[in-house]
Order: sequence, then structure tokens, then C-alpha cells
Amino acid sequence: MKIGFANIKKVLKGEAKENKEKKALENNKPEEMEKKETLEASGVGEQQDMKPGYGKIRAEAKKKSEKTGLIFFPAFDWAISPTHPEREERLLYTRDQLFEEGLMDLPEIAEYKPRLAEYKDIARVHFCVPDVSAQATTPHLISAGCGLVLGDALMAGEIKNAFSLARPPGHHAMRVAHGNRGFCNINNEAILVEYLRKKYGIRKIAIVDTDVHHGDGTQEIFYHDPDVLFISFHQDGRTLYPGSGFMNELGGPRALARTINIPLPPATPDEGILHILDELVLPILKDFQPELIMNSAGQDNHYTDPLSNMRFSAQGYAKLNEKLAPDIAVLEGGYAIESALPYVNTGIILAMAGLDYSHVREPDYTSGMFVQASRDQEALETIISTQLENWDNRDFLTEEAFAKNEAFYRHRKNIFYDTDMIQEFQEESIRMCPKCQGYISIASTGQKSYKTTKIFGVSVPIYACKACQQEAFEEYKSKTHDLKYDYVYLQDKKADQYRAYNVKLRQETLL
Amino acid sequence: MLIGIDVGGTTTDAVLIQDGDVKRSAKVPTGRPQNLLKALLSALDAVSQDIAPEKLKRVVFSTTIITNLIAEGKTSPVALLLIPGPGRNPAEYKFPNSFLLKGAIDYRGREIQALEEREIKAVATHLKREGISKVAVISKFGQRNPSLEFRVKEIIEEEIPGSKVELGHRVSGKLNFPRRVATTMLASATKEQYGHFVSEIQKALFERKIKAPVYILKADGGTLPLEKSASLPVETIFSGPAASTMGALALTSEKESSVVVDIGGTTTDLALILSGKPLLASKGAKLAPYLTHVRAFAVRSLPVGGDSAVRLVKSREAKAEEKEEEEEKKTAKQPERQIRIGPDRAGPAYCQGGPEPTPTDALRVLGLSEIGDLDLAKEAISGLASELGKTEKESAALILNRAAELIATAIKDMYLEWEEEPAYRIWELLQEKKEKPKTVVGVGGGAKGLIERVAEKLGVNPLIPPHAEVGNAIGAAVARPTLTLNLHVDTERKEYSVAEKGEIVKLHRTGIKNINNMRSGEAEALAAKLLQARAESFGISEYAGEAELIRSEVFNMVRGWATVGRLFDVSMQIPAGLIPEWKGGEAK
Ligand SMILES: [Zn+2]
Ligand SMILES: [Zn+2]
Ligand SMILES: [Zn+2]
Repeated sequence: MKIGFANIKKVLKGEAKENKEKKALENNKPEEMEKKETLEASGVGEQQDMKPGYGKIRAEAKKKSEKTGLIFFPAFDWAISPTHPEREERLLYTRDQLFEEGLMDLPEIAEYKPRLAEYKDIARVHFCVPDVSAQATTPHLISAGCGLVLGDALMAGEIKNAFSLARPPGHHAMRVAHGNRGFCNINNEAILVEYLRKKYGIRKIAIVDTDVHHGDGTQEIFYHDPDVLFISFHQDGRTLYPGSGFMNELGGPRALARTINIPLPPATPDEGILHILDELVLPILKDFQPELIMNSAGQDNHYTDPLSNMRFSAQGYAKLNEKLAPDIAVLEGGYAIESALPYVNTGIILAMAGLDYSHVREPDYTSGMFVQASRDQEALETIISTQLENWDNRDFLTEEAFAKNEAFYRHRKNIFYDTDMIQEFQEESIRMCPKCQGYISIASTGQKSYKTTKIFGVSVPIYACKACQQEAFEEYKSKTHDLKYDYVYLQDKKADQYRAYNVKLRQETLL
Repeated sequence: MLIGIDVGGTTTDAVLIQDGDVKRSAKVPTGRPQNLLKALLSALDAVSQDIAPEKLKRVVFSTTIITNLIAEGKTSPVALLLIPGPGRNPAEYKFPNSFLLKGAIDYRGREIQALEEREIKAVATHLKREGISKVAVISKFGQRNPSLEFRVKEIIEEEIPGSKVELGHRVSGKLNFPRRVATTMLASATKEQYGHFVSEIQKALFERKIKAPVYILKADGGTLPLEKSASLPVETIFSGPAASTMGALALTSEKESSVVVDIGGTTTDLALILSGKPLLASKGAKLAPYLTHVRAFAVRSLPVGGDSAVRLVKSREAKAEEKEEEEEKKTAKQPERQIRIGPDRAGPAYCQGGPEPTPTDALRVLGLSEIGDLDLAKEAISGLASELGKTEKESAALILNRAAELIATAIKDMYLEWEEEPAYRIWELLQEKKEKPKTVVGVGGGAKGLIERVAEKLGVNPLIPPHAEVGNAIGAAVARPTLTLNLHVDTERKEYSVAEKGEIVKLHRTGIKNINNMRSGEAEALAAKLLQARAESFGISEYAGEAELIRSEVFNMVRGWATVGRLFDVSMQIPAGLIPEWKGGEAK
């Protein structure tokens, strides 16, 4: 069954849903399920031969609208702590600049009102410990909700592209959420990806993370998903938090080279980043043909950012967004709240709206003030050639890796939550299924001082095969009797059902 | 006794109010725009004749003078000297006669680029040669630091003796540079003519020995002493819809929520009153093609009125069908006809000697109004009726139904816009779901017969209060002054500014002891003190007690890991309301 762009319109009209239901009925032959626990399979069929719809969505939307959707949600009444970089003041001067420019009055801009994401939208991505409400408080739900509002507006053809200028950020939040990592609790981009896939049947999505920090959360969530291409620019992990994002992190065995890391030497200016964009990122995107491009739009590559050492300017950011032409940009980091953010955000909005941004300039900026060091230029060329080669060999690499593994691919991870001082140990296993990308099981232990929480989570991809869905369900059931764990989760994206089981209380909640 | 006069596009309405009740009312045709003053005075005379002038305690006008001046192109030529700094490409602004100057101020009020005096002198020489003496100088973030605007003014006044220079930060202190440019431009362009108008009114009142204080109604439903209005002429645009909204406020019970529907000759104006407070537009008023900073009610105007021309048009489906049939070369069926109302007015209603049928004729046919000649009204409707294949009464009902439909749809759109207003804070977003009004209040001439139908379509209660036909004039008569005060404090720079006043003052002059540790309470107290002083300067200090705090925000400025200062934003207002003399209150 195909769910290309053509069917998206039908989904809107409810036709595709009908088809799906029919298909589900056909597939719903007697299954070995537990007596009362039946899985409602509402997913698509087993053979997924979807044709990519590259550019179609944007082309379609552009026909209908010339507007850029914008949500500005500065959360002027929320901070992690009073002096934390993620505080009330962060977007204050940006507000002043955007409003003084009168950007919201422009016919090219459509301003939208935020809404709260639902718990189910969060559960579609995360195993929140112990539950969604513990990790996603109101500001997080709003920040994630901003993306969903814009995603809906984009799919309805009300806008040609969108920018969610909202905080708090999310790209360091991983699938298991024990607490706050790198200022993030829940992953706004991932929540939007899964929402768009569920609601509109979009399959291939590219996320380009332009934050100075490696988007390790987003990478981890989609590491085994060949339908999501994740590309991250960042300052070399040897010199900056979170210390990851090296070129050898290429994706899981079924999704090799669908994670492309670009660790940039410190002090890389506009020139270098735009060079990488032209020579590496854009060619890969063209090749991948995503149905939707998302920019995880951090602004901490700026030459004045207090937390990093890069040399990017407002002009560079505007140009990057013009060239990348993301369908949706979602704000991430950026903590030079006076010297960078007012100018960078004005530049990005103008560029996305197709307006002249040539007059957006930081007061102390002069063109040519930063030049690309020749030694760094060589490093960039190495990155480009290495990653292009990886990309070109992606099918071969994937086949090889698949052949090497048995029924399951297993590995262990240590994850540190800097904000909440939590140490997490994970054992992850992915079903090496010949029919689909396979379900994922994670056993995770979170340690915060003397307190230890053990959880087990099973995740069924939205386009998983029926057998994987069934196997995953059985694994969930068996673990609910395992007293080693405090909580057991089943994230069935195919059925859009999210179960959390409290082992001690023997209570299941369903979202 | 109080007098209220509303000069509308078609008629000018006046009332005389005594002891909280309408003693007299009058309606005179406004006629041509040039006759505005004449119409105003004849309405005044109609309600005030043989009343001893000393018995009058207050006279309030609402006028369309500014709108007329602009529409007729009777404004003065203005040169715009813009200091845009970094941001949007200023070449994309669509303002006439503008000159771009170097120099820039940032969001904190820091000068980030200096002026170039030679450049300014060159512009001055050019203007002098062109004979332009009215100049508006507007700098981006000029409200946070007006020094560049002041310096340009100095140079222009030196180079062009007798020139009149208007400064952006004096006209509005709100964020939004393009709106400030437009508002300053309009202020500068209309000031002189408006000044003439004010002095003519003063002369006419002097001749009539009326010494009562005279006020002009603003777009935000507040009154402004006539002589003070001369410096703020743009504030009076859209005072018409403000008058009828204030009228509805006066004629309904306190704290009520309602939709105000003012059905006039050519347009219907809509406004919202929520718990006894008229809803203000979140941004300023639009004076096509310009967006301004003028504080105004959130009014919506649609081109449907009692005198709108009623015509039959082919419905869309009928058109499509016909096309198909044409293609198939079949004989055309009788196409389905649809009633269209407006958007134009061909003249008065047919029953009043006009050329085409109107909703007024429909009302007359159904016995819902006494206006005009019944036989003429029947004649007007009968033509449509035969084409529709319906009786006259059925056709008249269809016309009113269509008009009510248009109005109800516009009301629903207005709700939607109100509900979808962006929020920038968590508490704003979490506020209870906005509750829609349960009453539709009709004011103005055309309310009867239509309001019930509109209310029915919305599923709410209709209300046409007594004196609804002159509700606008009542609204003008009993509106109280409004005043706003927006205080911005920057403790790191150790200064504050009041948006409405346009000056930067050092904090040590406030008597606040520990500036570095200033608290919200102190910022709010400072705002209240400044509002009191401002009320005094406007001669309305007796209303300062009505002031309310609408916003109080504090931002810690953190550099590194230490707090280096605080930013406070405090907004206060004396909201639109009624003077205590209305409904038997005691005079202040
Ligand atoms: Zn990144
Ligand atoms: Zn970052
Ligand atoms: Zn499978």
C-alpha cells in the first residue's frame, strides 16, 4: 500500500483511513493474543513500497500559500532556575526586535497561537519515567504543541513553511526520559515527526540540526530508523557538550548513513558552514528525497555565544535557512540573548518569508571579520569526502551489517543528564527483522544520588510488520511480571497505543 | 445637562441628557464632508435651543474629521526622515516622501551607530528647495532613546526656519517602527487642518456662550479635552464606532458581555463588550493603507446597512450549471437567483425616494419600521418578488434573512480572531476558555427587525434598549476620559521611560533608594505616580483613581551567572467607562 503525498489529501478527507481500516480487517486473521488483551492493528499493511514524495508537499503548499507560519512563544514566565541560560529573559530582546520591526504585520507572515501537546503526542516518542506528566510540564507541552500547530497549518496548505520560535528546547532529550538533559526534557522535533507520520502518513523526513551542540537526543531517537535522515552540524564533540556526534556514529545496522554527523572545528565561520551545506548536506538531501525537511534551529553557533566557540553570524544563519529551505524550523539553543538572538531570529524569519535580509547585521559585525583557517578547511574537506562516501555506500553498509547480526542487535549505553545529575545505563536490542526495521527493547537504569529506577520499554515503529508488533507486545507482557523493573512500557506507534505498567502496583495506564 | 454629538457619514445625531435620562434627541443629515462643522452645529442647536448655556455641564463630540481630511487629500505634505538601523530592508517600506538616515539605536536604547550630520543637512536643503516645512523624524527604538530624533529635529529647525518637526517617540512609545512611522506621518499631516477645526468649534461655542468643558471622543472610547486633542489629532480617528460601543455600554446593565451591532445606512459596525469592558484591538487601528499605533476598540465594519442596494444575482451553482448546459447546447432553465446586499449604496431607500430596493424597504413591508412610504416600499420589493417567484412578504423576509446571515457570519469571524490572538506567556494560554457573549445589542437606526434575526442565528438573546437609535450620541455624552501609561525601567542603565511621554529619565530622580535591588512593587508605585501626574496635565485627575494595573513584568538581566540589573515593564490604564452623572450617579 502506498501512502505517498496523494494519499495525504485523502487522509484529510478520511478516505485513506477507511482504506486502512479495511486493510486492517483483512489482516486481522486469528492471532495468538492473550484473552482480553487484543491489539488493535490499525496500521498499514506489511509490504511498504512507498514512493517518496520529495518536494511535493512543499510545492503543493506553495501553490496555496505564500505565507510563513510563525509562533513566537518566549515563555516569559518560565525558567529552569533564575540565573540559568534557559530563563525568562532569553527571548526578551528578540521580542523587542521582532515587534519593533513589525514582522507580525507583514502579509508574508501568519502568526499562530500555541497549544498544549497531548500526553499521547509525548508518549509516541518517549518512555517518560515514571509517567509523561513527570517529564513534560506545561511549558514543555506548549513548546512541543507549537510545532504541532505549525505542522497542521503546513499540511492544511495555510502556509508554505514555518518557524516555531518557542522555548524550552528539546534536541538533547532521548527516547527514555529520566530527567532534564542539556536543558531539554522532551524532544520537540521528534514529537512533531511522529505526529506528522501518524496524522498525515508522511514517511521520509530529514532533520538538519544546526545547533552548535550535537543533537544527540534526536540522533538517538531515530538511530535505527532508515526513514528519518538526521544530519547534525556542531562544534567538535572533543571540545563541547555533549561530547558526541563523531563521524563514526552513522546509525543502527538497519539505518547506516541515515545519521550524518558533521563535527566542525572550533571557530568555523559562515564560509565553512555554508560550504558544508553546499557540498555535503544539500547533495545528500537531494538524494534522500525527503517529504519534509525540518531544521533543528539552534542559534549558538553565533560568534558571541557564551557556551561555544564558533563564528557564525546573523547573515550566515539567514543564508543557511534560505539555502536549506526547511519546511519547519524549530528553535533549539542560542544563549547570546542580546548580541545574537535579536538579529539571528530577524534574519531567519525574513529569509524563510522570502524577504530581503541583507540589512540584518549585528552592531559590531563587518563582513570579512572572520576567515576560514586553511587547516580547518582541510578538516572540512575530509568530513565532506568521508560522509559522502558513507552516504553513497549506505545500502551496501546496511546489507552487510544486517547479514552480520543474528535475530537481535544488542548494545549498551551510558547516558549522563547534566542538568538533573542522573546517570543512566541502557541495554538496547533491536529485532533484525527481514520485513521491517524491527522493534526496539530498552532496559534502562536511572541513578540519581541514592535513588535507582529501573524500567523496560518496547517500541514498535509506525511502519513495523505485524509479526514485530505481536512479538513486541508479548515481550511487554512478559516483562510486566518481572519484578526487577519498576515500570514497563509499550510504545506501539503502529496501533498508536501507549501502555505504561507500574510493576509494584500492578497497574496499567493506556494513552 | 450633558450634550453628546456623533457626526456620522450619513447622519449627525445629538442628545441632551439630564438626570441620567435622554431629554431631547435630534438627527440631521451630515451632507457633504465639507459641511461637517455645519452639521455638527445644527445638531448642537437642535438639542440645546432655549436651554440656558450655563446649565450645560459637558459637551462631547465624535467626528470623522481626520478620516475626511485624509480621504479628501486635504492633508499637508510631510517629509519622513527615517532612522531604521539594522533589520528589514528599509527600501521595502511603502511610505511616501521618505529619506533614510544613518544612525541606529538598539532594543536597550544604546546608540549603535552615529548620525551623519552632513547627510541630514543635505536632506534639509532639498526639503527647503521643495518648500516642505512639515517633517516627521522616526528612529527605530527611538522610544528607548530619543537622542537621535532630537538631534535631527535641531538640525532641521536650524536649516528650515519655521518648520514643524514631529518626533516618533512623542506620538507613540509602543514597539513597531512601521506603525510608528505611519502614525507620526498622519499626525504631522493632519495637525494644522485639525487645529483650524478646533478653533472654529471654539469660536462657535463662544458665540453660543457655551462655557462648559468640551471634549472629543477618541477611538478607544475615552474623551480628551478639545484643546488637548489638537496635539493628538490621530487619536480621534474611528471615534464613530467607539461612540456606539460606549452607547451600548451605557444602555446595558453593568458587567454584561455583549456583541454591539450598529446598523447604519451603508455599514454595520461590530464591537465586543466583555464583562462591562469594550474589547480593545490588540494592535492599533488601521487607516487604509496604513497600520497605526492608535489605540482603538476591536471593531469590525461590514458593507451592509439599511440603505445598501439589494439585487438578485445568479448563485454560484446556478452559474456552473448554466455553463455546463451551454456546452451541451441545451435550452437554459430558469437559473436560481440569490439575494445580494451591498456592498454599495445607490442612494436612500426606495421608500424614501431612492432608486433601488434596500433592507429598509423590506423592514417597511414587514411592518418592522415606520420609515418611508409603505406603497413605495411594496413597489421596491415586488420587482424582486416576481423574479424570485415569491410573495412580497416572503421576499422581504428573505432579504432580512440574508442581511442577518452576513452580520452573524462577521460576528463569528470576530470571535475566532479574538480567540486566536497569540499568547506569549504560559498563564495567558492557560486562562479559562474565553466565554462568548449571550446578548446581541442593537444600536443605530437599522437595528429594529434585524437584531432578532441575527441573535437567532447566533443562538443568543436580542436586545434593543430604549433610545437605541441615538445610542452613539449617548455614548459620546457619557464617556469618561481614558489614559494609558507604559513604564519601562532598566536598572542596569539606571533609567526609565514612559512610552506616552517620550523622555528618558534617570532613576535617581525618583527617590527610589536601592536602584540595583528595585522591586516590582516600586516599579508599580512609580507607574501610579506618573499616571497621576499625567492625568493632572490632562485636567482629568479626578479619574486617576479609576486606573488599573494591566501588566507588570520583571526580567532579571543575568550576565555570566550574576544578576546585573532588572527590566520592568508596567502598564496602567484608566479604561473606557461612563461618567458618574449617567444613571443618577453623583457628579464629581
Ligand atoms: Zn547540531
Ligand atoms: Zn545548543
Ligand atoms: Zn518486522
